[in-house]
Amino acid sequence: MPETPAFAEPVDTPSGSDIVRAEAVHKSFGRLEVLKGIDMTVMPGEVKCIIGPSGSGKSTFLRCINHLEKINAGRLYVNGHLVGYRERAGKLYELRDHEVAAQRRDIGMVFQQFNLFPHMTAMENVMEAPIRVKREPKQEVRERAGELLNQVGLGDKLRNYPSQLSGGQQQRVAIARALAMRPSLMLFDEPTSALDPELVGEVLDVMRRLATGDTGATDGVAASGMTMVVVTHEMGFAREAGDSLVFMDGGVVVEEGAPREVLANPKQERTQAFLSKVL
Amino acid sequence: MTTATQEKGPAPETAIKAVPVRHPGRWVAVVVILVLVAMFVNMLITNKHFDWPFMFDNMFSPPILHGALTTVGLTVSSMLIGVVLGVILAVMRLSTNPILSGVSWLFTWFFRAMPRIVLMIVFGNMGILYARLEIGFPFDTQIGHLLGVDFHGRLFGVDAPTLLTGFMAALIGLALSEAAYMAEIVRAGIQSIDEGQSEAASALGMSRGQTMRRVVLPQAMRVIIPPTGNETISMLKDTALAAYVPVNSELFFQIQAVGTRTFNVFPMLVSACLWYLAMSSVLMIGQHFLERRFSRGHGRTARGGAAGMPTGVEGGSLSA
Repeated sequence: MPETPAFAEPVDTPSGSDIVRAEAVHKSFGRLEVLKGIDMTVMPGEVKCIIGPSGSGKSTFLRCINHLEKINAGRLYVNGHLVGYRERAGKLYELRDHEVAAQRRDIGMVFQQFNLFPHMTAMENVMEAPIRVKREPKQEVRERAGELLNQVGLGDKLRNYPSQLSGGQQQRVAIARALAMRPSLMLFDEPTSALDPELVGEVLDVMRRLATGDTGATDGVAASGMTMVVVTHEMGFAREAGDSLVFMDGGVVVEEGAPREVLANPKQERTQAFLSKVL
Repeated sequence: MTTATQEKGPAPETAIKAVPVRHPGRWVAVVVILVLVAMFVNMLITNKHFDWPFMFDNMFSPPILHGALTTVGLTVSSMLIGVVLGVILAVMRLSTNPILSGVSWLFTWFFRAMPRIVLMIVFGNMGILYARLEIGFPFDTQIGHLLGVDFHGRLFGVDAPTLLTGFMAALIGLALSEAAYMAEIVRAGIQSIDEGQSEAASALGMSRGQTMRRVVLPQAMRVIIPPTGNETISMLKDTALAAYVPVNSELFFQIQAVGTRTFNVFPMLVSACLWYLAMSSVLMIGQHFLERRFSRGHGRTARGGAAGMPTGVEGGSLSA
């Protein structure tokens, strides 16, 4: 490991190859401890699915990754940088708002409730952040936004407002909106849980293509398969598109492994009990 | 399908011919109201003290027209200052910075507690405190004393009466009071927007300021506009209080002046009623169109409503 120059931005982690690394992450809301020491690594290009009963802390953990929630103990690194803090001489310093914002630019997030901006068209939703946050030229962003919406199958809905789109279409716009920032990591927080059953497939399909890199992208948007952390209840998606599967319960990782293996032969009793209810 | 057949009219054989429910009570009410209206109109015509010709002669006299203009100017300018300051105060109040939110709370607490007429008269009498208003180095003469020199760090100043005219006093009083109310209205509007919106904006790397300007405030407008219309109408009426500052160019002041000068008080009071009624009605029409404009794109279609707004409801029932 090379010596860190005194004034350079230090890379906090010794091994720079992983995208996400969580070490004993704890999170409490008041007196309720939601995460009780999570260890997890996500490698580049990996699609990690997190399953578990509601209240197991899986969504909270996902929100910690882009600092929507502050962790109380442990360490969480994204791309080798500590999330939300700076560590110098063994001391943690909180990052300023604009520094946290800069970290989030690299992490795309898709929400259960889509959270599209209702006063903007699909196109404007996708264009907003690259123009306002990255200050990229408008014409370039417009072209990329059109292409992204095309890739998610909404090339004919550019001028529609979210209220004129179905849930599945809205979620696909939300995915395009996150991709427009060219993130190195995508977080999905139960992306299909708010959808009518017949609309789940179209969203999973987009995610599957994103995972394999089969997006038809010409400008390198996830050309080699996006790194993704997916909190989901879709066991089929986890089995087929996931590289690894994590089962969480009661704020801890109970079991982790290859999706087919975990789903077919769960080793832990709690995993068996959960899977017997949902499969 | 059903609406289409209804529009064409019912099929001849199945058409229902039923006796509609009778409403005798409505007819009784109409008769009673007609009698009351007739009595009122009779009173308006026969009571000599209304002196209609005198009222119409004076209602549009130049000083009163000028007064109406002052009233409109005072309403518009104090609302403009009030709205701008109110938005700033609301954003300050919701800031994570305890000093900003504390200052905002203090402002709102004070100016909501003060009756508008008291505020306006206090500002009108500011000349008692300050003969001149000057801007410069704070505590300049005291510091000069300490150092033993004659130090006057004043940049510029004006005589108080030049700046603090009755109109200015009324404007400052009304605007600051309005800002306190608008701050609460804007705050309610901002807080009505789902937290997911600002979370999505943060997740995209937008700053707090960008999130507020680009995402939250445009959506909050729909909630903020209707009460702001009410505030504007209240403001129009409250400008009449300026007659007591006094602002002698103001409508109600002028109307009363004509009344007392001619010893014909009541017709002028009636003309005041008519003036405020007319001006408020114009504002109400404006408010109606403004509200219609800002509610566009909401509840557009059944599907639009289901997909757009109540996703929280949908998701809630599924995840529960």
